[in-house]
Amino acid sequence: MSIKYESQKIAEYFYTFAVVLFLVQVLVGIIAAAQFIWPDFFILNFNTIRTLHINALVVWILVGLMGATYYVVSEESETELWNLPLVKLQFWATVVAITAVVLGYIWMGLQPQANSPIMGITPLNEGREYIEAPRWADVLIVISVLLFLFINFMTMLKTKKWTGIQGTLIGGLVFLALMYLPGMFYAKSMVKDQFWWWWVVHLWVEGAWEVIAGALLAFMLMKVVGAKREVVEKWMYIEVGFVMFTGILGTGHHYYWIGTPGYWLWVGGIFSSLEPVPLLLMVWDAFRTTRESRNVTNKAGLYYTVAHAIFNFVGAGLWGIIHTLPQVNKWTHGTQITTAHGHLAFYGAYVLLVMSMIYITLPAIRGVKEFNASRAFQSFWWMTISMVFIVLTITGAGMVQVYMERLMGLDYVAIKANYNLWFWIFRAIFGVGFLVGVMIFVIDFFKLGKKPMPSVSAAPEKA
Amino acid sequence: MSNKAARNLFIFGSLFFFVIFLALTFDTMGKLDKRAPVITEEVNAGKMVWHKYDCIGCHTILGNGSYFAPELMKITEKKPKGYLKQFLIDPKSTNARATMPKLGITSEEADKLLAFLDWTSKIDTNGWPPKPILATAAGVGGKELSEGQRLYQSLGCSGCHIINGIGGTTGPELTYIGSKRNRDWLFGHFKDPDKFVPKSAMPKVEAADADIEKLTEYMLSLK
Repeated sequence: MSIKYESQKIAEYFYTFAVVLFLVQVLVGIIAAAQFIWPDFFILNFNTIRTLHINALVVWILVGLMGATYYVVSEESETELWNLPLVKLQFWATVVAITAVVLGYIWMGLQPQANSPIMGITPLNEGREYIEAPRWADVLIVISVLLFLFINFMTMLKTKKWTGIQGTLIGGLVFLALMYLPGMFYAKSMVKDQFWWWWVVHLWVEGAWEVIAGALLAFMLMKVVGAKREVVEKWMYIEVGFVMFTGILGTGHHYYWIGTPGYWLWVGGIFSSLEPVPLLLMVWDAFRTTRESRNVTNKAGLYYTVAHAIFNFVGAGLWGIIHTLPQVNKWTHGTQITTAHGHLAFYGAYVLLVMSMIYITLPAIRGVKEFNASRAFQSFWWMTISMVFIVLTITGAGMVQVYMERLMGLDYVAIKANYNLWFWIFRAIFGVGFLVGVMIFVIDFFKLGKKPMPSVSAAPEKA
Repeated sequence: MSNKAARNLFIFGSLFFFVIFLALTFDTMGKLDKRAPVITEEVNAGKMVWHKYDCIGCHTILGNGSYFAPELMKITEKKPKGYLKQFLIDPKSTNARATMPKLGITSEEADKLLAFLDWTSKIDTNGWPPKPILATAAGVGGKELSEGQRLYQSLGCSGCHIINGIGGTTGPELTYIGSKRNRDWLFGHFKDPDKFVPKSAMPKVEAADADIEKLTEYMLSLK
């Protein structure tokens, strides 16, 4: 494995930043888990810790996808990236902007009054979940994404090889960029505020990001097992097509109870129930394509790719559909059930996606033919088993909460502090297990291919 | 199916569904303001306070946000405003078991925030959050049973009627009866159901007028 074009190496910059943010995300996640047990634990309050936890997640996935996209577009276009210095500028500008935003969150966490509005705009934290980044940062993010799209587009224009994979990838990214805009204006009505906010949040994770995932899955299947482009691309179109057909109107499952008209119960209920279908197709696609390929060199890459497809379906699909019907959601909306779904969905759909892309492209970037995949497997099992148990504990906490708060009418404060306590304790323990997995991955990321390894393909010598 | 056909299906199908989504969004935008009270300057100022302190970093509102602290959409219905104001300004001195930190919310900001939360409590949310079934049925949750509720139980009304998911299915559901029938109708109907509903299967309520009055009162409270 080696890269064909020198500029593909730039992906590693993005991966490195992503991996560092991943570590930060999980570290603050453990602090947040501890605060469920001891609310006064740590100098920063829960709101700041959680803001860091979810923002680090979104940003590291995005940055990872950017790196992967530069790699894929160069490969698919069969040419060097257009204007490499500009790519580096885009990278460093993104790093600087993100760092400034994070410092702002911490400042506000220590000094809440620092976020007092200036001309009607809060300068450090917008106070809206996931898109807490203040308005000035929104503008920088848009500039960075536009620059990123422009560079990729110019690269594609150099050779005009409009392959399906890169077309779909760029299509998903353009959709992603456009769907950031509805979160960039102020609405006086909290109902309208949340209505447009869901355009960003839902149409990203259940729209644009899944389209990107579909395109990258096709690319990975081609790279790892040498699947035929013709076949892989056709299924990709069908998968991402279904993602959009169900996902766009599936936004309605967020419009049941926020002050929106009743017809959304029908629209959201029907279309979001169909959302797992394309994810199941992806699993089938991954199995069908890799079934006959036992002798692949990049075992870790194959492993992560298939695992991504499976956990995308389980986390985003199954854990979503259990509470997507309005009859059920009426009782579970706004409870820990949503948290459980969020954790498994993000892990399966996007954490494993970016990790698969790293395991498939990084060996080529570093020019290693074969690498010892044992750390990749170790980290996979540490993370996956821990995440499954984190999700089960939160699901349990959610079920107790639904029963006691929604059916019995107890205050959530009492439930959280007493009846759910053991769930929080186990969640924190499994959180540490997850951290172990992440640390193994981080070590593997920095060490992969740096040391010449004994040939693993040769028959093991007897001692 | 050829690759080109699959691609076209993806592109044009997506556009098709997005156009429907846009149409629904347009329709919804026209209806939202009618489903909530008018937004005054104070309510809007309260919303800015909400954002300034990143309340959503711990709480949910309309069910969305963090799940660390209680849902606040209907908080002004549940707790007295005087208590809430004092709590916002200094949580731990108001309630020793509080986990909320003192954020430096001023008295003025607390007023605005409560005006905002008052507004959110009046949004038409298609019946969310649902009334807690068991609490309502048993009369727990800090509330004594009213006389009407006690009569409802002793007369065995729940043998045939459902309130908040509990009861029999023979007669009509009564969960929202208070918004469907007025006092005269209910009172008269209890005394002689046939007069109001021809061939009614419901027996006359054999009780003193004063008790029927109390039962009517209870029915009117079910909204």
